[in-house]
Amino acid sequence: MHDMVLAFAKWLEASPWGVMARESIWAYPVVQLTHFTGLSVWLGTNFALDLRLLGVGKQRTTAAQMAQDLFVWNWIGFAIVVTGGFMLFSGIATSFIYNIAFQWKLGLFVPTALVWHVIVQRKARNWGQGTDTPGIAKLAALTEILLWICVITAAVEIPNH
Amino acid sequence: MWEALEQTPWVKTLGSTGWMYAVVAVTHYLMMFWFIGSVAVVDLRVMGLAARKRGVGELAQTLFPWAWTGFTLAMVSGFLMFATDAGDWAPSRGFHIKLTMILLSVVFAVIVQRGATRWGQTPEIPTSAKLIALISLLLWIATILSASEIPSLEGLG
Repeated sequence: MHDMVLAFAKWLEASPWGVMARESIWAYPVVQLTHFTGLSVWLGTNFALDLRLLGVGKQRTTAAQMAQDLFVWNWIGFAIVVTGGFMLFSGIATSFIYNIAFQWKLGLFVPTALVWHVIVQRKARNWGQGTDTPGIAKLAALTEILLWICVITAAVEIPNH
Repeated sequence: MWEALEQTPWVKTLGSTGWMYAVVAVTHYLMMFWFIGSVAVVDLRVMGLAARKRGVGELAQTLFPWAWTGFTLAMVSGFLMFATDAGDWAPSRGFHIKLTMILLSVVFAVIVQRGATRWGQTPEIPTSAKLIALISLLLWIATILSASEIPSLEGLG
């Protein structure tokens, strides 16, 4: 398993886009821009739904409607995040795989938060029929916010390890 | 003056305590993503590219008020990060560009927020409104780009 991951990381680093992300003065910020722009759309729409499920803010739209309204751009945002993230990773893949903060981020927090998000988004259709949401919906939404905070915390810690 | 800010006891504590600085940085990113994401969705709605079933005014009024909370917290946390290295940040050209971009982006966000209700009442969203929304969206992208360029061009952050 370890050898496979290392071989993959080495291959990515040597790939044309890996070299570009690492060596060009413009490529890295543009790749980071892609990752951050995607994150804004992805997390912005995630939190909008979570806050609605929590019952925070204006209640004119139900959570079910909001989940539907934001669905398309939520996942477009995710696609942009993954594209940017993959490019960032490609540039210095072999250092990333040994970085403990990165291991926590991609090995645990991201998969957990992602699965949790899919569940919340699907459940919102039932939880969010009326103006008020059930207690379980509030708990699930709060958990999702906390999971994404874990992801960002691990990401912020990457340069320190 | 900026050096003095950097030397203030609480700023020194913040800058040298790993977990405190991390909390501030996480807040900055989290609130920034939340705010920009909310504005971007409204911009896309005005342009006719998102949530077409929902009225422009309704979407804007749902997303904007709390997004400004996010903006405020992003500014507060951003100032705290600035303070820990104020002497280097204050004269940075890249940082000046970033601040200018933020200011312009906020002006356009306010225009979009205020216009949304009006635009939503007309059968067809005016082309001028779509243009304003596009500029708003591009300004946020430019803001993130200017922020991303600072470390690679000036070695700050």
